[in-house]
Amino acid sequence: MDGAVAANEARSKSDWKVGVDIGGTFIDFCALEARSGRVASLKVLTTPEDPGAELITGLALLAEREGFDPTRMTRFVHGTTVGINTIIQRKGAPLALFTNAGFEDVIELARLRMPDMYSLFCSRPDPLISRDMVFGIPVRMRPDGSESQAPDMAAVTNAVTVAKAKGAQGIVVSFLHAWRNGAQEAAVKAAVTRLAPELFVFTSAEVWPVIREYERSSTAILNGYVHPRVSSYLTALEERLKGRQVPARPMLTKSNGGLMNAAEGKRACVNMLLSGTASGVIGASWLARQAGEDKILTLDIGGTSADFALIIGGEAQFGTGELIGEFPLHIPSVSVSSIGVGGGSIASVDAQGVLRVGPESAGSTPGPSCYGRGGTQATVTDAMVVCGWLGHSEMAYGQLTIDAGLAHRAVSELAARLGRTVEQTAQAILDIAVSEMFVEVEKLASRAGVDLRDFTLMPFGGGGPMLGAFLARELGMKRVIAPRRPGVVSALGGLVADLRGDFIRTIFSPLSAESLPAVREAFETLAQEGRDWLAAQGHDAAAELNLFCDMRYLGQSYEIEVVLSPEWLVKSDTAAIEQAFHRTHEQLYDFHDPRGAIEIVNVRLSAIGAGPVLSFPEADEINAPASPARRLPVYTGRTVETVDLHDRGTLVPGSTFLGPAVVVQEDTTFAIPAGTQARVDRHLNLLLTFAE
Amino acid sequence: MFDRTNLQVLANHARAAAENMAHTLHRTAHSAFVKETQDFTVMLMDRSGATFAVPLELGATWFPGLSYHRAIAMVDDYRPGDVAFTNDPYSGHVATHAPDTHLWKPVFIDGEIVAWTGGHIHNTDMGGAVPASISRALTEIHQEGIRFPPVKLVSEGVFDEMILRIMSTNVRKPDLNIGDIKALVGALNTGERKILAMVKKFGKTGFIEGVAALLDHAEAQAREVLRSMPDGTWEFADYADEDSVEANPCRLKLTLTIKGDEAVLDFTGSDPQLGSSLNVPSGGDPRHTVLLVGVYYVLYTLNPKIMLNSGLTRPFTCITPQGSVLNPVHPAAVGMRSLTCARLRSVIFGAFSQAVPERLPAAPAGNNCIVNVMTTDERTSRSVIAAVNPVVGGGGAMPHRDGTNGSGADAAYLKNTPIEITETETPVEFVKYGLARDSGGAGRWRGGLATEMAFRVFAPDSRITARNRDRSFFRPWGVLGGKAAGLSDMVVNPGTGHERRLGNIDTAVLQPGDVLEIRSAGGGGRGDPFQREPWRVAEDVRRGYLSPTAAERDYGVVLRDGAVDEQATDQLRARHNPSAGHFHFGPERDGYEAQWTPAAYYRLHVILDALPIHWRFFVKTEIFRRMKGRSGADGVQAAFDAVCERFPELPRPRPVREAAE
Repeated sequence: MDGAVAANEARSKSDWKVGVDIGGTFIDFCALEARSGRVASLKVLTTPEDPGAELITGLALLAEREGFDPTRMTRFVHGTTVGINTIIQRKGAPLALFTNAGFEDVIELARLRMPDMYSLFCSRPDPLISRDMVFGIPVRMRPDGSESQAPDMAAVTNAVTVAKAKGAQGIVVSFLHAWRNGAQEAAVKAAVTRLAPELFVFTSAEVWPVIREYERSSTAILNGYVHPRVSSYLTALEERLKGRQVPARPMLTKSNGGLMNAAEGKRACVNMLLSGTASGVIGASWLARQAGEDKILTLDIGGTSADFALIIGGEAQFGTGELIGEFPLHIPSVSVSSIGVGGGSIASVDAQGVLRVGPESAGSTPGPSCYGRGGTQATVTDAMVVCGWLGHSEMAYGQLTIDAGLAHRAVSELAARLGRTVEQTAQAILDIAVSEMFVEVEKLASRAGVDLRDFTLMPFGGGGPMLGAFLARELGMKRVIAPRRPGVVSALGGLVADLRGDFIRTIFSPLSAESLPAVREAFETLAQEGRDWLAAQGHDAAAELNLFCDMRYLGQSYEIEVVLSPEWLVKSDTAAIEQAFHRTHEQLYDFHDPRGAIEIVNVRLSAIGAGPVLSFPEADEINAPASPARRLPVYTGRTVETVDLHDRGTLVPGSTFLGPAVVVQEDTTFAIPAGTQARVDRHLNLLLTFAE
Repeated sequence: MFDRTNLQVLANHARAAAENMAHTLHRTAHSAFVKETQDFTVMLMDRSGATFAVPLELGATWFPGLSYHRAIAMVDDYRPGDVAFTNDPYSGHVATHAPDTHLWKPVFIDGEIVAWTGGHIHNTDMGGAVPASISRALTEIHQEGIRFPPVKLVSEGVFDEMILRIMSTNVRKPDLNIGDIKALVGALNTGERKILAMVKKFGKTGFIEGVAALLDHAEAQAREVLRSMPDGTWEFADYADEDSVEANPCRLKLTLTIKGDEAVLDFTGSDPQLGSSLNVPSGGDPRHTVLLVGVYYVLYTLNPKIMLNSGLTRPFTCITPQGSVLNPVHPAAVGMRSLTCARLRSVIFGAFSQAVPERLPAAPAGNNCIVNVMTTDERTSRSVIAAVNPVVGGGGAMPHRDGTNGSGADAAYLKNTPIEITETETPVEFVKYGLARDSGGAGRWRGGLATEMAFRVFAPDSRITARNRDRSFFRPWGVLGGKAAGLSDMVVNPGTGHERRLGNIDTAVLQPGDVLEIRSAGGGGRGDPFQREPWRVAEDVRRGYLSPTAAERDYGVVLRDGAVDEQATDQLRARHNPSAGHFHFGPERDGYEAQWTPAAYYRLHVILDALPIHWRFFVKTEIFRRMKGRSGADGVQAAFDAVCERFPELPRPRPVREAAE
């Protein structure tokens, strides 16, 4: 840390730093009072009809309950679902797409291949811009960036007139080979701005100048589609905060796990679309590093889905092509795998008498039967209640109550059809739900080429702790680490995140001494862009610039990310770059080809401005058996056993106990199976170790 | 008896193992065929060699019902760590053309085989007459590359180096083959490990009984689907445009009989085996997976929760006469069987469509054309060979929505290559890549639109191959009043003075500046197009899917400045007579079948069936040469009499039975 930052830290000792994650049902707060190191957390129901209002409600509640002072809030980071909801609900801006004549259908054809490929009814989603709002402009660029046909400005003028008449509020311009040379797009953007200043315009090269026309176009379209809503939401939020004399400028979490300021968020909206899941993983990796854990599998179970991510070497993993609703997003994002099984997944018995779980879900409305909100079908949550793991305390900060009778009624209907007891049926539902997750995690591990037995499972979210230990055992994992506040890990992720901007230049040429100057030049340009970007975010401390190359063997159709040392570029050390590529290829794919020609596709740079160094309270461990609050009957697979129930609030560093056990706290309930040793560490994490 | 309450848990563990194998192979394979085209499969098999689990996300869709039992039986004395393999379409009937190399590995518990892991990769080249080992023009299997009968490739963990050397000596890209085969062996090892973990979890007996229960469950699900269909017999025939360089149609004929929860698929009446590589080597196996791919699509479409494993095949019996295109005898060439397989699927779809018209779509485009370019890079003077986009067509119109545009149905596994990537790597310039207006079959629900792609080359003698092109004459059919779709085509320099239409030809030589346009067929329509809501028709016109002329002609919708002229539309629609009949085939097939009536085909088959197998294709071709001005059964007989006169050596046919029809 340099002197300026240290001085800042000293000045802000009594300040509040707040991370907020807005989810589908709840908005989570994680607030740190800097002087005492006290952490306060909170959950409030969301107000989808007035996004942002719940945020103000939550801050008011924090003030009331925790003595939080908005005028002393020096850091305010939040993740919002405004963008992603706009896409899922298809409520974005009416847009027009200007693209090359002859290629108007690129966004509909996408990459052809469809999921569900055994079904004659398989289909692709309707594009966000329908075909009648796609305008083919006579214009063409060659792959080397030279112009073979200048944009037909008469066609542009006509397209603007028609698009406006059809109600377009914005224009996306995406031309072939703009990854190499964005001049044609820029010229058309300038013309549109001149002709119709009331329309907003995004070009594909300015949003994310990556090669591959479908991926680049769809990224620019997603950006334009959510722009007006996101922008007005952020403007309103800034006003609201200003009205409460909040000194902090609001920061936003991004899909890449980093942060940006609100001004950037209004323009580069596409970067925030997956921020909720990303900051969960960032929060988890922060907790993992703090606890000295190197390899983590995160598990976040919600009502309708379960999300998984790998943390390796204490760092989140990145990828492109994460799904937003039905659309893949092609900017670097924290890799998260998802499966449609959650607490609300419905169990059913098919015509052959085989029990299944999902894909149908009771979601959050009506939700599981036991919520008493009108749901009547048996869900995974109901099965947890029937077994006795769940329902012994208030849930979700007192906003939910469990009616065990309703859960019993729902599961017993299935039990009658199966000829089993209600408990046996409930256990089978849990086993199936866990096995559905098992499939997804096994896929994730085999894609990444890792052995899960080396990993520790970190469950979070409201539902992760319910099934986490069962899943870990199924996967052959030996340990589980559960954070003190599983419900606010995403909010924590925002609080601890760094500023992070990603930049790309596509090179697409063979790796050779001749091509290195182009790579070096690209790196220098990107480095400048990165520094400028950090400055624009208000970051005045040191910048960390990480350089990557996307490379492949000539003839391969997708590339892998290789970490580069800038020194190799300065010294024109082709051999070092080649070695790094071969090594990475070997790590990922178990082979490399020393004679193979190598191609550089992209040069990428991440500019990182470190966030504040936060310290949370720690305490010494006192090795002492925990004393249970009470004992209760739980069906643990074969019989009903009397198990201990612990109140999380009473567990102190060093507390130990044995499974089977239940641990309750305000935002979640842990089910801890037999054969488990549990211990609380000095960060108040709950560590579970399974007997062999 | 396995506890069925837990069956889904076992099913999920089995699928996880299969997905794991697929990802391992996909991750570690070397060739674009495996990594990008995903032309591979992996599977878990029971003790008999019947597949009980496959991945759902990666790989090809053809083999969930494959049984390895005959190939397994051709190798003796399996030991732990062994892997056997074959690519011979005529031994063991797992491989269906020589590039497909199948491997299998026993999984032992206590000295007993409890399961097998297996899979296939499509090798880039297996040697033989042409690069990639596949050409329609090849006439015998020996031209299609080196073949290995079932034999151990790995013995107790050690590769047989001699086999690898023999393969390397005979193929054009040995590194790719060996790399992919080793990656597949790695995947089989992964599968073995996962099966051992399952045995640990469920117990040996539990595992074996559970696997049997998985097969039984899929079988029960398939039977349930069949029971939901009426009993009856339905006939259907469909044609591939060309059977060989002779360019006569190749007819596939199916008589589907559903009775209770079983079905018989009788392919008697399909053409004799061909003197080209379009033959499908099923070995006469009544449940060969290659014959039942269309059935998997039907079952999965009607019950998306169906388990994909070989239990699905049990209620079905296929009859494929020996010496026919669906059961050729050695040494018939088989390299391009995928074209015939596409027709085979549409024959199956057509038969089931009559059984449950309200539940299935019209014909998909059914021409999964793979385009390759061989040209010279003018900057480097080096020759370049590259695959450009597949040109596939739309799905058939569904009972509840329009057919998917540009691909879909049984072509959904294909992926395209970005134009920017192709143009950067290959000296071609795209002129167009998109959907073809007016190409979807008209209907209450419209068929999916065709794709059209056009590109220009810059070097002399650039050679293009467009493998699997079809449907340039016989249209994808419409159902229930819906119309047949637009035809596929290939044209050099369209719209210029030097325009050259290539019809069904699948190769072209281009000169500098030439533009080649390839268009797929579309998907068939469903229901009376005059019942389609006018607003949908207007929307199709607005989107450029439909021309105003076609809107008026095919849908009876009159548009004025883009809006529906309701009065004119009502008037036009009032004069409309909906077409009768289940299918609409279009004028080409109607015209063809006026000459080649069912009776004519019946007579042809009576004549050919009486001949030795190696005479049949020759005689078919000679009869077709003499059909000008002739038609019907008598026309065929007259043509045959002329053939007998020209070739007195022709073996004397046994007396011709009287046609029953």
